[in-house]
Parts: sequence; C-alpha cells; structure tokens
Amino acid sequence: MNNSLKSSVPTDREVILGILNNSEDALNKLYKAYYAMVLQFILNNNGDEDDAKDVYQEGIIILYNKIKAGNFELSSKLKTYIYSVCRRIWLKKLSLNSKKAGNITDYEDVFAVEEDVEHHEEKDAAFVKMQSALDHLGEPCKTIIQDFYIHNLSMQDICEKFGYTNTDNAKTQKYKCLQRLKKIFFQP
Amino acid sequence: MRNDLELDAIIEDYLLGKLNAQETEAFEQLRRNDATVDHKVVSHKFFLESMGTFAEQLRLKEQLNHIHSEIDVEGLADTLRPHPSKIVQLWRKNKSVVAVAASFIVLSLVSIYSIQHNSKQEANYEKMSRELSRVKQSQNNLVLDIKASTQHNSPKKANPGNFGGTGFAVSTNGYILTNLHVVNGADSLYVQNSKGESFKVKSVYTDPQNDIAILKISDKHFNGLSTIPYTIKKSISNIGENVYTLGYPKDDIVLGEGSVSSRSGFIGDTTQYQVSILVNPGNSGGPLLDNNGNLVGIISGKQDQTEGAAFAIKSKYILEAMRAIPQDSLGVNRLGTNKKSLLSGLKRTKQIEKLEDYVFMIKVY
Repeated sequence: MNNSLKSSVPTDREVILGILNNSEDALNKLYKAYYAMVLQFILNNNGDEDDAKDVYQEGIIILYNKIKAGNFELSSKLKTYIYSVCRRIWLKKLSLNSKKAGNITDYEDVFAVEEDVEHHEEKDAAFVKMQSALDHLGEPCKTIIQDFYIHNLSMQDICEKFGYTNTDNAKTQKYKCLQRLKKIFFQP
Repeated sequence: MRNDLELDAIIEDYLLGKLNAQETEAFEQLRRNDATVDHKVVSHKFFLESMGTFAEQLRLKEQLNHIHSEIDVEGLADTLRPHPSKIVQLWRKNKSVVAVAASFIVLSLVSIYSIQHNSKQEANYEKMSRELSRVKQSQNNLVLDIKASTQHNSPKKANPGNFGGTGFAVSTNGYILTNLHVVNGADSLYVQNSKGESFKVKSVYTDPQNDIAILKISDKHFNGLSTIPYTIKKSISNIGENVYTLGYPKDDIVLGEGSVSSRSGFIGDTTQYQVSILVNPGNSGGPLLDNNGNLVGIISGKQDQTEGAAFAIKSKYILEAMRAIPQDSLGVNRLGTNKKSLLSGLKRTKQIEKLEDYVFMIKVY
C-alpha cells in the first residue's frame, strides 16, 4: 500500500459525518483511503484496473447511500465493510461471467453484506432503467430534461441555451419531452 | 393535447410546491373529484422521485470519477498486481503459513536429530537365503557320509546345505533360475525337488547386476521335465495384482500369497517390485506368479524392520538372463512369453499341484 495514501486515511466517524454533511472532501478522502485495498483484491483475483474501478465505485455508492439513508450502524470498521461489499460484488461478477472464482485470495476480514448488495442491485436497476429511458428519448429532449432535472437549470437558462423564442415555448417543449420520457419509463 | 400539457405543468408545480394557496386549494379539489388527475399526480410524484435518485446517483458517480482520475492507478496497480514470479506471489499470499511451516520443520528436524542419536534405525535389505546352523550342518554331514556309502545308485536324498534357497525350472532339460546371492561362493550346488530327489547342478550364468543365476542340472539321474506350465509376463504388473510364490523356507514347499504393492523395490529400485508377501530366509529365488500362472518376477529379498515388504526382480530381467544362454542348449521346451500358460483358469490348489515339480530347493555346500 502506498504510504501517502495510507497516511491520509480518515477516521470512520469523520467519513460518516462528512458524508451526512455532503462534504466533498470527506468523500474524496474516503475514496482514496481504500482504493488500493480493493485494487489489490481485484488484481489478484482475475480482474484488471477497470474492474477494480467499477467494483470500488459501486461499493462506495452502497456505503454512501447507506450512510445517507441514516441506517448505517458502525458495527465494524468502514474498511472491513467496503472490503466485504466489494468482494461480494466481484464474486457475483465473476460467477456471472462464469470465470473461475475457485481460489479467492483474501486480504481482509469479511462479513456478510448480501442484503446491502442486493438492495443496491435493485436501486441500480432503477438507475439503469432511467438511463436507458433517457437514451431512448433522443435530442434535444434528453438534454432539456437533463438540464432541468439533473443540472437544475432554470427554464430561462434552457430557453436561452436552446434558442427558444420565449420560456413558454421552452416549457411546452419540456412537458412534451417529459410526457414521452414518462411513457418510456413506465413501459413494462 | 394542449390541456394535457397544462395539466402536467400544474401537477409539477403542485408537487414542487410552486402553486399559491388558492391554486393549491383549487387543484386539490380537482384531484378529489377526478380520479384520472389523482392518478397522474401519484405517478408523476413517483417519476420525480426516480428522477431525483437518478440525478443524485449520477452526480455521485461523476464525483467519484473525478476523484478516481486523481489517483495514480497505473503506479498503484504495478505495486499491487500479482507478481510475475510465482515464488514472490506465493510468499505474499502465504507469509504466515510459510512461517508456521518453517518453524514446524525446524522443530521436527531437531526432534528427528535427537531421535536418531538415541536409537539407530536403518532399513536394510535382507537377502532371503537360508543359512543353517553349523551344528546341524556337521551332523548332517555325518548322515550324508553314511548315506553316501550305502545308497550309491538311487537319486541322492535330502541333506540341507550351508545355505538354502529356491529356484525354478526355465526349460525342460534342466535349466534352473535362482538368485545369484543364493549360489554365490558355492563349492557345490544341489537342487531338490518336491519329491525329495536331489540333483547336482552347476552354475552356467550369473548376472551380478540383477542378482540372477542360471543353473544346469548335470546329474545323470535327471530325466527331464514335462512342459513348463508357466510363461513369462512381458508387461509390467499393475499395483494390486494378486501374486503368489512357492519357496523352500523350510524343508517342505511353502506358499506365500499377496499382491504387488509398488512398481519399485528397495529405495526406489526400478528393477524390482515390492510385494506384500511374507517371505522368510529360503524364499529367495522363488518364482512370483500371478493368478493366470504368468511369471511376474523372482523373490529376492525383503526390507528388515518393515513387515510385509518383500522385493521381487521383474520378469523382464529373467528374459534378459535367458537370452544370455546359448539358445540351442536351452532346448525347444523352454520358458517363453508367447505360449499360453497352462495354469490359467485353474484353481490355486490345482496350479500349485502342477507347479510343485518345477520349483526346486537349492542347496549350497
């Protein structure tokens, strides 16, 4: 493990409070603190850097959401939690790709996190659904919707950005797009 | 269409709390009265929540990607990647195990060292020729003297020699194969058949490397044998194959049964088999046969201090030894590999009945 990374490991309390307070710095520290651990695990178990990135980010998102939801009890070290979650995710991926997962080389203690991972998978499915609905929408609808709902731009900004003659026209367009998006999104 | 869009706009404003009190009141009235509108509100609320989570996750992912780009992934990966050298990899994985194993080895070495210095234990190879006591020998010599003077024309009767062993016929005209260590250094050699008749033999071939000797009966009372019932097995025997031997550890023929337990002999000697037959002094030179009456080897010795580990020279070396003898002198009816064994399919008792005449006690003076 890299020394410069190790020295900046934040305390678990610091991380949790930071995330609850939307502190970017806390997330930053958290991310950098345990990346090497997961990278080592993935690299030594049939994975590459990209796999490590995907798995680690998923793990961080799970932790983040759990803390945000307010039901994270610090019953173990964050490190162990992250490791267990990432391990679980990676084993699932390996078995999905029917790659060999016979001899897993472990570097940390592990505890059961199946529930959290499964809960996350449901959430992720909703995420993927929304993403594909947006992709199906086509331009300029996609950008208008994204600007309004995700980047929180005002209708005035959107009107100017796309060059609508007035905000009412832009609004009408937005609602048309929204109707289509909802139709796609609620499709069974 | 136009109405729909307006309705959507109102619903969204309502959900986002952008309507003023009066409008809210009016809209809630509308919701209560119109189920379709009510349903639209609920579904839009769900949609907005989904969108909200989506936006949140998307932002989080972007943030993580941003942080990720600050990390020197390449450099980290290089130090953490499984090392190309298997040894380093093993070491990294099993540091603690190796440490435990090493200390265990040290401990066991120490204890082995101390045990060895307390009691010397060595496995030795015992050649299974029979050495008889001098007293008995001298007494028998007396008997021999008396008998020799009285019975001159009949075949000589039993009289144990200094050493004893077993041998078996490899041709009908009196060639007998045994272990070299049985006959080595002999002044004179006799063989005795199961009926108790003795014949004088002389050694015609010795192979010190494989411990094989071939004797030839040179006694004028010897009338030749009928067809040799067994054949030589060319292939290597499998572990677990049932085998048996006949020999003369005492003055009567004795059967020893067991199985091939290893394809190599004493300290990995590949010219021999290890067999689980209990052999005793006197068994040396005995034929080792399988269930079908194929000659698998020659019993040659055992490991002392180990029970049930006897060794037999592989049959291939019998063939080699036989090739060393002038082929004409062996005669037509000799031991071969191609013929079918006359013993195959017979019960063990019948096999032995047939075999008895071909297994000889070797007496060495």
